[in-house]
Amino acid sequence: MIYWVVFILSASSLAFEVLLARIFSISQWNHLSFMVISLALFGFGASGTFLSLLDAGRPGWEQRFSRRSFLLKLVIFYSVSAVIAFGGLNRLPIDYFRLPLEPIQMLYLLMAYLLLSIPFFFTGMIMSIGFAALPEKTGLVYCASMTGSALGAVLPALGLGTLGEGYMVLSAALIPLLLPLFGDLKRREGVRTALWAIVTFSVLSGGIYYSGLLDDLKWIRPSPYKALSQVLQFPNTEVIETRSGLRGRIDRVQSPYIRFAPGLSLKFTGTLPRQWAVYRDGDRPYVFYTLNPEDEPTFPRFSLPFAGYLLAQDPEAVLIIQEGGGVGVPFALAADASRVTVVEPNPRIADLVRTHYRVPVFHSEGRVFLGRTDRKFDVIQLENWGTSLPGSAALSQEHHFTIEAFTQYLTHLTEAGVLILSRKLMLPPSDSVRMWATAYESLRRMGVEKPADHLALLRSWDTYTLIVTAGPLFQGDVAALRTFAEELNFDPVYFPGIDPKEVNRFNIYDEPFHYQRVQQLLAAYRSNSAEAFFEAQMLDVAPQSDHRPFPGRLVKWSRLDDLYRSLGSRVYTLLMSGEIVVGVVFLEALVVAVLLLVLPIPFVTRGRLMSTPYRFVLYFLGIGAGYMFIEIYFIKSNILLLGDPIISFTVVLSGVLVFSGVGGYLSQYLDLSHLGYALGLLCGMLVMILIGYPVLVDGILGMAPFFRYAVAYIVLLPVGVLMGLPFALGMRFLLVSPVQRAYAWAANGCASVLTSIAAAQVALSIGIPAVMICALAGYLLALVSIYRPAGAKNAYS
Amino acid sequence: MKRISILWIIAFFFFSAVFAEAADNGKYQKAREEMVSKQLKARGIDDPEVLKAMKTVHRHAFVPESLHDRAYADSPLPIGEGQTISQPYIVAMMTATLNLDRADKVLEVGTGSGYQAAVLAKIVDEVYSIEIKEKLHENAAETLESRGYTDVHTRQGDGYFGWPDAAPFDAIMITAAVDHIPPPLLKQLKDGGKLILPLGNPFSYQSLVLVTKRDDDYTVKQITGVLFVPMTGRALEKGEE
Repeated sequence: MIYWVVFILSASSLAFEVLLARIFSISQWNHLSFMVISLALFGFGASGTFLSLLDAGRPGWEQRFSRRSFLLKLVIFYSVSAVIAFGGLNRLPIDYFRLPLEPIQMLYLLMAYLLLSIPFFFTGMIMSIGFAALPEKTGLVYCASMTGSALGAVLPALGLGTLGEGYMVLSAALIPLLLPLFGDLKRREGVRTALWAIVTFSVLSGGIYYSGLLDDLKWIRPSPYKALSQVLQFPNTEVIETRSGLRGRIDRVQSPYIRFAPGLSLKFTGTLPRQWAVYRDGDRPYVFYTLNPEDEPTFPRFSLPFAGYLLAQDPEAVLIIQEGGGVGVPFALAADASRVTVVEPNPRIADLVRTHYRVPVFHSEGRVFLGRTDRKFDVIQLENWGTSLPGSAALSQEHHFTIEAFTQYLTHLTEAGVLILSRKLMLPPSDSVRMWATAYESLRRMGVEKPADHLALLRSWDTYTLIVTAGPLFQGDVAALRTFAEELNFDPVYFPGIDPKEVNRFNIYDEPFHYQRVQQLLAAYRSNSAEAFFEAQMLDVAPQSDHRPFPGRLVKWSRLDDLYRSLGSRVYTLLMSGEIVVGVVFLEALVVAVLLLVLPIPFVTRGRLMSTPYRFVLYFLGIGAGYMFIEIYFIKSNILLLGDPIISFTVVLSGVLVFSGVGGYLSQYLDLSHLGYALGLLCGMLVMILIGYPVLVDGILGMAPFFRYAVAYIVLLPVGVLMGLPFALGMRFLLVSPVQRAYAWAANGCASVLTSIAAAQVALSIGIPAVMICALAGYLLALVSIYRPAGAKNAYS
Repeated sequence: MKRISILWIIAFFFFSAVFAEAADNGKYQKAREEMVSKQLKARGIDDPEVLKAMKTVHRHAFVPESLHDRAYADSPLPIGEGQTISQPYIVAMMTATLNLDRADKVLEVGTGSGYQAAVLAKIVDEVYSIEIKEKLHENAAETLESRGYTDVHTRQGDGYFGWPDAAPFDAIMITAAVDHIPPPLLKQLKDGGKLILPLGNPFSYQSLVLVTKRDDDYTVKQITGVLFVPMTGRALEKGEE
């Protein structure tokens, strides 16, 4: 029975966690969801600490608690707490933006942590009981937990489309209540527990219905600060279609007030076409223009990105790689493009674009599409306007703006081809400088002698357009750009032969900051001192590579004081940065982890903990950290391979968990002597992955999806199996008492949570491969901690 | 008799407003004075009319009661429904940049809380303010009316098309987020008129954009220092090391 309980609860709690993240990404902001869910997961660790403390007063708990009736009661507690936690969370008036202003918001946030940690506490408790009560079968308990979790990772993918986020999360919370119905109904205790489950289910269902929660969950309301909430406050505006899926919720909105035209010249006196939009997770609108087939739209010709089309007159083939926005297709049509191809990562938006504009649309990630085609294009337009708030997209991993990505774009251009990229203009100059540098670096690595001759950068009052040409810009090209800018009141930031007098005429800054910064960078490149230039900048504007693909990451921790002062010494502005929030969360998590691990020591050391505990605590900290670092390494590495962060998350989690479960099962046939070999083998394999996996990903990027998925799973197979051995073998052979096992479980859980937060920062600051190096360090620490010098007394005999 | 009743009603509202102001003044006057000296004057706002307006208008009346104590803090404030009231410095800076005369006619697009309109009304005779969101419009109109800002004409509608019946304007202020400047608004500017809008997120504006119209041509001046203080002094020296 215990295996089934562990299996079902693992599945339910992982599905609950994934779905909460999904709901948070609609109803709140990513920063907050990151914070709340990470800390809620401490519920696992807290369960171990609780049982350690309990052991001090009531030894023998593992036998009492592992009785069927008690386990089933815990299952009921789990379901009740999960429903109450979710319902309570839904009603808590948390407002992230009020956090620095209203002290009561801290209380709401604390309540959210506590509420959400309770279901995880019960899940953790059941697992801990399993490990403590059945030490000789740790591998099987571990296998049940891992395979259950794997099921939980894929369940949302199966049910979201039908049930939507709200109903799906309720189902995940309630399904474990079925377990008591399959108990031993021949015994009175079994019948009583089953009846309790039925009563609980009925009460919870009634409560959900009468509290109005059911209605609230039909459509998860986005944060009021999000674009969808804002537009829904306009009259005659309504959501006409909603579709949920693992890749996000798509809301289709009809409104007479949607008007999107970034980069539009002040000289434009006409009327914009009628528009409607779709919103992803309540934000990031993609706008559709209702174009008159008889009449070419005029507004694109008055917009800054159109500058790129001046250099590719009457283009034969145009490729639009889009991520939000919506002006790409009207621009291509206005330029009389003969063939327009659109690449859109979201399947629903891809369908809508195909139907609306009647152009070929590929549902794919841009890099994957280019990896699969040899076609050349006269124009490649990247539509991704980025953020208007520096730092808010710091955590977003985007492979569209890396040096490797630019190389891929440039190799798919015809000889006279043009790459156009338009984004929000930021002050201090950051994103525009980074993109210019990325293009320059890419051209340089491709062997172009004078990369700067292939680049042009222009700005309006709030956007910039970077143009990269396959061949060098001619005088005629520069003249065309110059005339375009002058007629429509735009300012050039850079093109060959630029005159300083023309850089600050229409959109006037106190100084031409953007021009100055690009000139400094160009001079640095020419004097081979680009690194020194990037080092000296207050913000991190260095070009990004596929190893560190975070184009929205701008903060330099070493220059935080300068940044703070340059932002007018206002603390709240720093909190807009996702990276700084991660730092704050890590500190909070560290405090919680220390409390959970240090708190029980005075109690459990009274003769019950092993005489040399620190080695084993280190062992479980090491394997907990190593496990999570590996998971995050693969999730991040596979985003490029599989084309989507959520797909990558699901594939990696399901693969690693199932294969670890197999490892746990196999551990039943191994003994302590195999532990060192398993860890050594795993470390060797991690080194191989560190060296070989990026090359492998690059090589198979253009392959069919099935093949890419298969490779992802095949690579995960041996690693996952080996990852499953150290925990199960350690629990079984290194520890001798239930209290040690409970404490080790707490240490493992704390390490996992801290690592999941730290890994985000490691990837941002150093790069994705560094995450794998950290994993290696974690497992090496575990290996060292079990090393016994020759002749030493067996510590665990 | 009817006339006397009307006079009584007017007198009642007048004295209520006066007493309300007096009560407010007692509690928040010091906060307002500090706001003006530490947040505005210290950052270079020196237009006496703007400073006087900022010292007079009761900002706390335009924010939710739970935030009254933070109303004069040096930050934007969320006012519910995903809306914000701008940082006092932004309000003062935008108003001062327009360099308004008493006789100027000003259009505000995006009434929001109504605070900016109230500040404008202390400086010019005619203020027109449009808000597209019904709930916000109702709240702001009620607050403005109850506080005696009768020179502010408000209506619920689409600010994109301006207020053609009241055009042309000497100045237009856009306080709602836009990705392009609506052409109809530019048409409703007088020759020599100015249009101002903040650039970026309401919680952290980067700069102000000041558009000046001259003979159907436009110049755009980006006013930095709103959020980003260009690197000067020690920070710059450090950067160049």
